[in-house]
Amino acid sequence: MVRFNLYSAEFDANPFDVYKELRDNHPCFWSEDAQKWVLTRHEDVLNALNDWETYSSAKGNLVDEFPGRAGNTLGTMDPPRHDEVRSIVQSVFMKRNLNHLIEPIQQIAKGAIENCIGDRKVFDFAEDFAGEVTYKVLVALLGLPETDDPAEVKKNALLMVQTDPKTREKGPEHLKAFEWMKDFAAEVIELRSKQPGDDLVSQLITAELDGRKLDLIQVQMTVTTLVMAGIESLAGMLKVFGYNMAVFPEQRQKLLDDMSLLPDAIEESMRFNTSAQRFRRCLTKDVTLHGQTMKKGDFVILAYGAANRDERKYPNPDVYDITRNSKGHVGMGGGTHTCLGNSIARLAMKTAMEVFLTEIPSFSLAEPEDRLEWVASSNFRSPVKLLLVRE
Amino acid sequence: MVKINFIEADGSETELDVQDGWSLMQAAVSNGVEGIEAECGGSCCCATCHCYVDEAYLDKLEAANDKELGMLEETVAERKDNSRLACQVKVTPEMDGMTVHLPEVQS
Repeated sequence: MVRFNLYSAEFDANPFDVYKELRDNHPCFWSEDAQKWVLTRHEDVLNALNDWETYSSAKGNLVDEFPGRAGNTLGTMDPPRHDEVRSIVQSVFMKRNLNHLIEPIQQIAKGAIENCIGDRKVFDFAEDFAGEVTYKVLVALLGLPETDDPAEVKKNALLMVQTDPKTREKGPEHLKAFEWMKDFAAEVIELRSKQPGDDLVSQLITAELDGRKLDLIQVQMTVTTLVMAGIESLAGMLKVFGYNMAVFPEQRQKLLDDMSLLPDAIEESMRFNTSAQRFRRCLTKDVTLHGQTMKKGDFVILAYGAANRDERKYPNPDVYDITRNSKGHVGMGGGTHTCLGNSIARLAMKTAMEVFLTEIPSFSLAEPEDRLEWVASSNFRSPVKLLLVRE
Repeated sequence: MVKINFIEADGSETELDVQDGWSLMQAAVSNGVEGIEAECGGSCCCATCHCYVDEAYLDKLEAANDKELGMLEETVAERKDNSRLACQVKVTPEMDGMTVHLPEVQS
């Protein structure tokens, strides 16, 4: 019997065989390990994303949720409240309002290469580039105080996305990290209330819609989520893109020969090695799918990483091909809960990787692929460390 | 299924069989139609799924509400009489055979 144990870090080293088995033979699968249903076909995941009334986010969207979070972040609200709040924050994240970040991101990427990588032949792409760039972009975007200890923020963000593989619940260290991040968010909010800037937190505090501001708890939970999601998902996306570039040198060469392919290479990376692998919904009514009846109140895992490898949607799905049209992937989720930061993430990836590939065009993994350790997260998939060697 | 034909600014066409009840935006995005960005995912707050619907079908569409009319003022490409936000147009069987033109830019 096939198992879907997303609590084992080894599972994320290669979840794709299990995903295929589920797509082919158990497309609507009850996971004993997760105590949740799992949908893996692209069509089913997309239908669920497009039907928020049935597949509700109001009970949380993380596979393992934190207490008090559901209902207070965009990702854990259903319309109409979701749409009202999204109207308040959307403009800050829109492509047309992000151009001022291009130059700072270029500088950040150059700084990371100069200061963190330097002349070293072997370096950790995860820490020295992806982590460094992500944190500094978030500082610029959110208005986090520069003086804070980045290592502490990163450590807690990483802990927040993890789940104890034994108890299959958030453990004390994860809950503590969540509390730490909430306090950190509260401090940032207090600072920006006193000294507003043109950053996102300042705008969240002052933003109004029809005369209504966001509640303080919503600003706090939103900032908490943005730091966590920002750090783990943007850094995760960068890490897996760096990984794809390292293990598929012929694709990297194709890109170096024609850098206008970079946006496509990034989309294909999000499809092929999705960092946001799995999110959760809760059913508001009974649903019968592929002969199984899922009950109202049951939790359903939408396995984006499996949907993105569905051969029913993409021919040769297990091939990383930067020239394919990978649009329509669900690497940024979809439907009303499509990732709020999708444009900033794409812009940051493109800008930072342009700099990186210009400076360091040729590299490979510095250790065998099977030695890679993957983050123990039920939501996200990315390597903990990514040692690269220049060629 | 309802047949909708999307025509991009460069003339390329994509004919899709769309599920009754889906929005034009959902159909376009999930099938890789380039000319729709839909940054906000369909919450009617970004105006990057701007489209021009076939005038012959205008009266078959539910009229735009105040929120959509407000967002239509934010479109980057020229707003015309047949401008709509694709995320707000739910597909119905009456729209079978409708053509939707996409603007050159969304953002």
